[in-house]
Amino acid sequence: MLIELKNIIKNYVNGDVVTRVLRGINLRIEEGEFVAIMGPSGSGKSTLMHTIGFLDRPTSGAYLFDGENTENFTDDELAKIRNNRIGFVFQSFNLLPRTSVLDNVMLPLLYSGTKISYENRAKKALEAVGLGERMDYMSNQISGGQKQRVAIARALVCDPKVIFADEPTGNLDSKSGATVMNILEKLNKDGRTIILVTHDMQVALHANRIVTIRDGEIISDVLVPEKDRVHSKEVKEDE
Amino acid sequence: MHNIYLKQAIRGIKSNPSRTLLTTLGIMIGIGTVILVLSAGEGFKSYINSQVEAFGTNTVIVQTSIPASTKSRSAAGGTSGEAKNSASNAVPITTLKIRDVEDIRQIPNVKNAYGASVGQQIVTYKGISKTSFIFGASAARFDIDKGVIAKGRGYSVQEDKGLAQVAVLGNSIALDLFGSEDPLGKLIRVGNYNFEVIGVYESKGSFGPMNEDEQVFIPVTTLQKKIQGIDYLIYSVVELQDNSKADATSLDIADVLRHNHYINDPSKDDFKVQTQKESLSTFDTILQAVTFLLIAIASISLVVGGVGVMNIMYVVVTERIGEIGLKKALGARGKDILYEFLIEAVLLTIIGGVIGILGGSFLAFLISKVAQSMGLAWKFIVPISGVIISVSVSMIIGVVFGVFPARNAARLDPIVALNRE
Repeated sequence: MLIELKNIIKNYVNGDVVTRVLRGINLRIEEGEFVAIMGPSGSGKSTLMHTIGFLDRPTSGAYLFDGENTENFTDDELAKIRNNRIGFVFQSFNLLPRTSVLDNVMLPLLYSGTKISYENRAKKALEAVGLGERMDYMSNQISGGQKQRVAIARALVCDPKVIFADEPTGNLDSKSGATVMNILEKLNKDGRTIILVTHDMQVALHANRIVTIRDGEIISDVLVPEKDRVHSKEVKEDE
Repeated sequence: MHNIYLKQAIRGIKSNPSRTLLTTLGIMIGIGTVILVLSAGEGFKSYINSQVEAFGTNTVIVQTSIPASTKSRSAAGGTSGEAKNSASNAVPITTLKIRDVEDIRQIPNVKNAYGASVGQQIVTYKGISKTSFIFGASAARFDIDKGVIAKGRGYSVQEDKGLAQVAVLGNSIALDLFGSEDPLGKLIRVGNYNFEVIGVYESKGSFGPMNEDEQVFIPVTTLQKKIQGIDYLIYSVVELQDNSKADATSLDIADVLRHNHYINDPSKDDFKVQTQKESLSTFDTILQAVTFLLIAIASISLVVGGVGVMNIMYVVVTERIGEIGLKKALGARGKDILYEFLIEAVLLTIIGGVIGILGGSFLAFLISKVAQSMGLAWKFIVPISGVIISVSVSMIIGVVFGVFPARNAARLDPIVALNRE
């Protein structure tokens, strides 16, 4: 079991007002799954993803990651998990400005403290998303779709077990979005766990399992029958 | 090498170069002032050294001095018990004589010595008059003093003893009186006597009331007997064989003078023997005090500059909250973020410091050029210790004033930071 949430509660306290964002989430995700978390805005799906991604700590409940209870992990230990066992892909790409594509992809490696050849790893990750030719471009010189592929390369570079993608196609046109989804599918096919947050059913249908959340509770958790799944073909972008 | 902290810090600074420059202005001015003060101080010291050395390199100076224990006898003795140089005093000490100088010459480590007296007279040539210091010295001065006679010659021992009316002119006064005319062999009037000009000095490049270029040099006996009507000296310059024994020889000189002046109690000394080292160390003490004061003032600018850097670092942290969140999401620890911002702050202050060092050095260079154009032996020196201290101080300011903003950045919650974008 890669991820196991037991009765996760997250409250935000603002003065006297307590907002209950997650109201007892129980969720198990196996290694190799492709899970889409769906729900309307304000449902708590982003908070759930942040909690699973160790960007935020739950108010209560147990979170076992790869069999380990993470409740008492220090901030530095959590940083280490974020660094080399998790990869993030954000809706707004979040590349460092004024920095080359290659340097952007290398960034997690630099924080990892490993002694391996950063450049080779970063180049391989860029080749995996089809951007081996663009590594010397600055991050603002490439298209949105390419930016998101760079972000995926960056998420991949430390060889994590799981990739979190928060509305990865939200800021992309359909062509670029298809390319990004195609890459995520490939990564999943190679055995990597993908957790995708979206409100778009067409995007969610790429996954093999859809978890729907509303008002901080899971209201459905279904496997997608293979016949219903959407598969993006590799689209040649106009570059 | 992938020094991520440095790389990120440089990227941060490059993001807004003009702001970087403005931010470090306080540091620049502070460090620039420090370097300027230290360098100008060194230059001034080089000038003073050259002035002291002009007396001759292995010399000891004997000055008359009001005895510390008998200040009541002196009208202008002041209230302190310190011995005072009688030359700057209303009541002259009349005990230092040519005979003392002759006796000092007999001391083993003494190579040569001359006595000197100074008076002020109107000097006239063909209707051009100048009030000038008349410097009377024994002929031995021409052997000891570093001044070079450009034209003609100095006077001899015989001329000195024989009260000859001959004069050697300082460079400026020769020019003032004679212009392009050749002064050699001409007669000038000093007081009520005519003097033949037998030599002209090269310019010495000094300034102030004792500018030797403006003086007229005549035999000391002539000055005493014919012009001043006195038989005493104001000071004597003693040249040594071996300067390393200067302190011991000073004591020997004092013994001779006490014997000649019938003094048993050293507190009643009517003279002061000063080695070159001593005269320089007095000057050093003053210079150090002035340097310290100016650097203390410059430090205010450094503190203000440091606060400026702190201020801008707070702004930078706020500006980059989203980026900090992203880096934390990618696995940066608090420590990593802390170092990035701390190094950025230190880089800022070092940039300011280096610009300050260059600017301060440039100003000190200009000062040295101006001084040199005035004919002063002023060297342009930037003390390497000053540069090292300046760079270290800049770094320390960066750390001290950068650590609070950097800690703020390091403590940011990743999700809070990410959501702020």
